Amino acid sequence: MIAPLGDLLRELAPQVLGAVVRRYGHFDTAEDAVQEALLTAARTWPVRGLPDNPRAWLITVAARRLTDLLRADEARRRREWTFVALRDEPAPRDVDDSLVLLFLCCHPALSVPAQLSLTLKAVGGLSTAEVARALLVPEPAIARRITRAKAAIRDSGAPFRPPSRAEWDDRLAVVLRVLYLIFNEGYASTAGPSLQRAELAAEAIRLARLAHRLLPTDAEVTGLLALMLLTHARRAARTAADGALIPMDAQDRTLWNAGEIAEGIALITAALPSGPVGPYQLQAAIAAVHDEAPDAAATDWPQIEALYGLLLRIDASPVVRLNHAVAVAMARGPAAGLALLDDVPAASHRWYAARAHLLERAGDPAGAREAYLAAAARTASLPERRYLRERAGRLTGE
Amino acid sequence: MKYMILTYGTQLDYDEMGGAETGRPAWTPEEAAAMGEFMAAFTAKLAESGELVETRALAAPVLTRRVAPDLRSGLPVVTDGPYAETQEVLAGYWIVDVDGIDRATEIAAMLNDTPAPAHVRAGAYADVRPLMDERAELLES
Repeated sequence: MIAPLGDLLRELAPQVLGAVVRRYGHFDTAEDAVQEALLTAARTWPVRGLPDNPRAWLITVAARRLTDLLRADEARRRREWTFVALRDEPAPRDVDDSLVLLFLCCHPALSVPAQLSLTLKAVGGLSTAEVARALLVPEPAIARRITRAKAAIRDSGAPFRPPSRAEWDDRLAVVLRVLYLIFNEGYASTAGPSLQRAELAAEAIRLARLAHRLLPTDAEVTGLLALMLLTHARRAARTAADGALIPMDAQDRTLWNAGEIAEGIALITAALPSGPVGPYQLQAAIAAVHDEAPDAAATDWPQIEALYGLLLRIDASPVVRLNHAVAVAMARGPAAGLALLDDVPAASHRWYAARAHLLERAGDPAGAREAYLAAAARTASLPERRYLRERAGRLTGE
Repeated sequence: MKYMILTYGTQLDYDEMGGAETGRPAWTPEEAAAMGEFMAAFTAKLAESGELVETRALAAPVLTRRVAPDLRSGLPVVTDGPYAETQEVLAGYWIVDVDGIDRATEIAAMLNDTPAPAHVRAGAYADVRPLMDERAELLES
């Protein structure tokens, strides 16, 4: 498929699926029908040329295919529909179908892996094989996961419409978390030989851009997009040629993507004063402070410490407490950081890695070495393990 | 987008509603009035929300005329009241213009509360059908 056509089809995919599901219901079968319509378009458009209205063309073909599929499904049981009582206050009517689709794929009745798979497939327009490759899960498993997720949505009787005002915040939080997890999965892959799966991170950014376009005034949506851009901007500097991890203070900052940094900073600068400050905005602000520093020594650590202090008030999870401790160490010295770190539960390899760095800075090579090795034993990422072993090796005095 | 909500009935149902003796319990005048009020309120609510496009009740099946071509002569053949007593035919419809099929279904589900004798309620149902867009859905694929 030629690239611009592929881009067009992927952009249209959620709009078409949203329109077909809104109109006819049958989310599970509609998804198959839209896939087939997209395939037909990919085959015929390069030969016959683009139709006048590609979106309408796809909706028409998908709707026809849907009726075919439903008729073929004669043996299907009579569907039992559940009705949700009229809502307290209906949400605005003029919502893009892609957004409703996103809410549906991130339905709270689904498990997190199901939410990720379904969002990538139905909203991202990825094929089952692409989702499987992106999430490093065998294709049959992803296919089953998606089928089950669609059945769960069908059985829940979730109506195709945006959440009511009363449930809006909770539902949007799930959507943002799913997008954030997709990005994270791409950025810091938790398994496998390659540290970054940049394509998946780029896909997450595409979805976040979609969400931002649909909800331009939501400061947390903007914050999430900014956070992704400001983090993704560093990807080229993050790994060495041999795949080894390079920590931020040792990265070649000329490799950072200036365009993405500028866009991320503009987004977060606009979002911060616009409403209640949430965790994504704060994380984006922290990433912006890092990205603005011309070199590691110029990093404004007191500001980062202050931002983590604000984040702690919203989210006192071990990860945030750990990052706060590191920021304190950088702003006020390793001893202050280590004291805070001691109070954080030592669940993850990151805790040991942070402790190792701080011990090394505090002049305790033996303690640091032990902590590096403890961290290396706990990470699932091969490049990270190599990096941690290498740091431990440096401290043996060889 | 537009949907048609359709309800069905037989000639028998029409007769009973009119108070005729059919062997099954006929509607009392109070029951018929209660249903009329319910339908009026239901329709008024849809009109008020701006979702109603049109609604009609259809006259008894016995008043139907069916027109079909006679292939040999090429002339139309007209038949009176072609339905069996118990054959269900369209009894009425609402066309609504709403946000999607879920809302249309929700509206149709309100008809579940229509007051009627138990044997009528037991067999009652409504269909929700999407109306075709005039152009977009007739495109060449």
